[in-house]
Amino acid sequence: MPHLELASISKSFKSNKVLDDISLAADAGEIVVIFGPSGTGKTVLLRLIAGVEEPTAGTISIDDQDMADVAPEHRDVGMAFQNFALFPHFDAFENIATPLRARAQSAAQIKEGVARVAKLLKIDHVLGHAPRQLSNGQKQRTALARALVSSPKLLLLDDPLRNVDAKLRFEMRLELPRLLREAKSTVLYVTQDYKEAMALADRIAVLAHGKFVQVATPEEIYRHPATVNVGRLFGDPTINLVETVVGEGATIDLVGETAAIDKAYAGLKGRSVTFGVRPEAVELGDGAGLKARVMAVTPLNERTVLLLQTKGGAELLASLPSSSSAIPKAESEVTISFNPIGTHLFDRETGAALAKGRA
Amino acid sequence: MSSELVLQKVDKIYGAGTVHAVKDLSFTVKPGEITALLGSSGCGKTSTLRMIAGFETVTNGSIALDGRAIHELAPAQRGVAMAFETYSLYPPLTLAENISFALKAQKLGSADVDKRVKAMAEMLEIGDVLHKYPSSVSGGQQQRASLGRALVRKAGLYLLDEPMGQLEPQLRAVLRGRIKHYLREHHCTTILVTHDQTEANALADRIAVMEGGVLQQYATPAELKARPANLFVGTFIGEPPMNVFPVRVKDNGQTIDFVLEGSDGQVLSYAAQDFPDAVRRRLKNDDGLVLGVRPHAVHIGKKGLMARVVTCQWLGDQTHIAAEIAGRTVVSVSHEQIKAAPGSSLFLRIAPQDLHIYAADSGAAIAHGAELA
Amino acid sequence: MDHTSTLERVIRGALITCVLVFFLFPIFWIVLMSFQTNETILRIPPSIVFEPTLSNYSALITGKLETTAGNLDIAFMRNLWNSFFLSAASVLIALALGIPAAYAFARFRFRLGEDIAFTLLSFRFAPPLLVLLPLSLYFKQLGLTNTYIGLIWVYQLICLPLILWIVRGYFEDISPDIEHAYRISGNSWLKTFWKIAVPLAKPGIAAAGLLAFIFAWNNFVFALILASADKQPVTVGALAFVTASGIQYGQIAAAIVLSIAPTLALALYAQRYLVEGLSLGAVKG
Repeated sequence: MPHLELASISKSFKSNKVLDDISLAADAGEIVVIFGPSGTGKTVLLRLIAGVEEPTAGTISIDDQDMADVAPEHRDVGMAFQNFALFPHFDAFENIATPLRARAQSAAQIKEGVARVAKLLKIDHVLGHAPRQLSNGQKQRTALARALVSSPKLLLLDDPLRNVDAKLRFEMRLELPRLLREAKSTVLYVTQDYKEAMALADRIAVLAHGKFVQVATPEEIYRHPATVNVGRLFGDPTINLVETVVGEGATIDLVGETAAIDKAYAGLKGRSVTFGVRPEAVELGDGAGLKARVMAVTPLNERTVLLLQTKGGAELLASLPSSSSAIPKAESEVTISFNPIGTHLFDRETGAALAKGRA
Repeated sequence: MSSELVLQKVDKIYGAGTVHAVKDLSFTVKPGEITALLGSSGCGKTSTLRMIAGFETVTNGSIALDGRAIHELAPAQRGVAMAFETYSLYPPLTLAENISFALKAQKLGSADVDKRVKAMAEMLEIGDVLHKYPSSVSGGQQQRASLGRALVRKAGLYLLDEPMGQLEPQLRAVLRGRIKHYLREHHCTTILVTHDQTEANALADRIAVMEGGVLQQYATPAELKARPANLFVGTFIGEPPMNVFPVRVKDNGQTIDFVLEGSDGQVLSYAAQDFPDAVRRRLKNDDGLVLGVRPHAVHIGKKGLMARVVTCQWLGDQTHIAAEIAGRTVVSVSHEQIKAAPGSSLFLRIAPQDLHIYAADSGAAIAHGAELA
Repeated sequence: MDHTSTLERVIRGALITCVLVFFLFPIFWIVLMSFQTNETILRIPPSIVFEPTLSNYSALITGKLETTAGNLDIAFMRNLWNSFFLSAASVLIALALGIPAAYAFARFRFRLGEDIAFTLLSFRFAPPLLVLLPLSLYFKQLGLTNTYIGLIWVYQLICLPLILWIVRGYFEDISPDIEHAYRISGNSWLKTFWKIAVPLAKPGIAAAGLLAFIFAWNNFVFALILASADKQPVTVGALAFVTASGIQYGQIAAAIVLSIAPTLALALYAQRYLVEGLSLGAVKG
């Protein structure tokens, strides 16, 4: 029995349909990341589940109980907000203690509960501070502590790392899985950072235009994106995309030149497709094959990104480890090939991924 | 068409000597080179840029472009082109008019102007919105138009203030490549101001790392990674950030042991011959040091320091593993897909040449691997 | 660029002094006058050297006005009490009604909501004289003429719209997420209103209450028509100083000092809240 179940949820504001007939089931203890660009209704979905907004249609059940008539304060959820939403007139301790006070616990229990999460989140030294005296990182940790303190069965985290700087975000990304495991809650986590989604999720639900376009494990989503858009949203640098036609025997036309692709696509001759290849699947050599000129070399952390241009003018990005010995110089010429893992064909009309056959 | 920029002993003091924003700053940008001014907010990079552009007076020192002192000149007489962080597009003009506006002074034929504007727009992927007004396009498109307006002009020096902060992530890598190629091809001397080290690393030939108004290090991206001059630069540059361990050193002639502070005697041990004598002489017994190790240099192997896995996260083209040694988290990054269950144990190996050794008190670099700093 | 010349600073100082003199000198002069007799006030040329006297204040407090034409009974202290009672009661009632209403207008979208809010505001810009004649007729019918209840009722025309609109703005500035966070923590909406919304809007409530109090205090025309001597506030009561034998400047001055003192004290006290309201930027963050 799934812990949280969304059945055919729709939500409209006036004539604007934000969520359109979406369904999702999450098991107890599972971490589901709701991923999508801004403005796709991720936050609205969390609000519906928390009960501070009502769905236009559909049902939300927690432990098989319909939540339609259950007020937010009785749903036993914890929520962390993108803007932290700390109570400015309470100090950090009182902020975190709020859910415990509402559950009418004794002063000693409250003190112990707050101390426990504060220590876990390393904010025990600032519990007496008012929110405006806290740094951004401490605010964010206080907000998380407040969501976690009552060990709710369901945790809703609305892009909690959005408003902290890159270093803190990285630290928290490493720390969060342990916190969430210890909380033992079912987690819905909203983000628009694909790295955060891949790092934290058991499953990722990709939201676009009010619908889930793919709900799967991070590996499945990265290796087998269901649509061209899902492919574009995951990966840095972004997947290379070229609109083309499949030719004879697993080849495509790359702006006038023929390029060999994954043999498994041999059966698609003549089909109008969008060819997608991940930058790390663009492999460089110096033998015969498709030639390209290195237009620019741009290091990206410990990887190096190359902007390549074929004779016909097609632009491709390649990404290889900076430690690799074979990093070419700008303006040099290389031969490129495409690793089947990381090569995809999508239908040009619908954007849906085309299945790989048996080679 | 490219010039050399020389800053000599430049100071900027605001108010009545109360805020010393830039202190004794000297560096040279060679003709056709791209230099990034990198630092967090308040580090003095924007003040420096504004002094070069002429929006701010120079308190002390001189700025010269091609041997000509420019710091007393009005902004328009300096021969610099600038892209502003806030875009500063002219609202009543379309994007195309905004970009071509910069070409007015060059007295080109209208066909020539059109051609250049179009080429620039294509490079920046705004060809389809050229006829629109700034208020009706996205922030990213406005930023690209502003960048186009600066680059389309001929100038001795190009100043780009956070030029890519608002760019759509899906376009960033391609545009970085194209812009770098364009600047190279046209031999543009360029100053790029950014707080984003990824952008600085991707675009710049040299990076000037600033903090507290002081230039910390001026070097190529590769050198900044391999030989960061102090602990600040070491931890500031690199993503994920460098692992740091406070240690005490013990050299017993056979081995050099780095005892992790705060642990119950966990030791990083190396054969004495791994370090040349010059380095060993600097590592006095019981000295307090800070070891820095880049996450990519923390290898997972069959032996080494035993650590407990906290998290293991695969991001598509790399795996980030956080492991705990003596209550301290160590981050290891690998280009492969690795699966390690939280709570399980593994061994971490750090090669001696990957160690960055800093003095604990001053933070100054003592050695980078086997070489003296 | 970032330098201010000495000249600029001198001019700025001079201009500020002009403004201060313009606004503060009358108050200063009134305070001086209140300690003088009519003779010293009216001497030519005027002088700030005089022998201070408390006779004006004692006359007001005892209610015995001594004029050249003889003694006159005035009810100034009674008027002062009326002013205070009417204003305070009106503001308290307006707060009790206005704060929940403001919250409803800020947080819930309901049918005709905007129209109702606007109608309430429009009471503020209708000229009072327009409603006074019919109102005085109704009040006679209802037996409300010359009662505190009647006046307080009419004063709601002044207080309620002010409080409603100012406090509504403050409620709208509170991020709904903060209230959501409190509810999700396990609290009812009523508790959320009391523990989160009202405390966070406190600066706005204080400001609106203060403004409403001052407007009510300064009201003249409602009380002039709808109340007789024993219910009249100071604004109407001050007319008594214009006597047959002349104008009692000293007593008028003392009366003015006494009648502005409460509002001034209130403003100084509430200033803290206003400043706090500005620095409590964390509400939105």
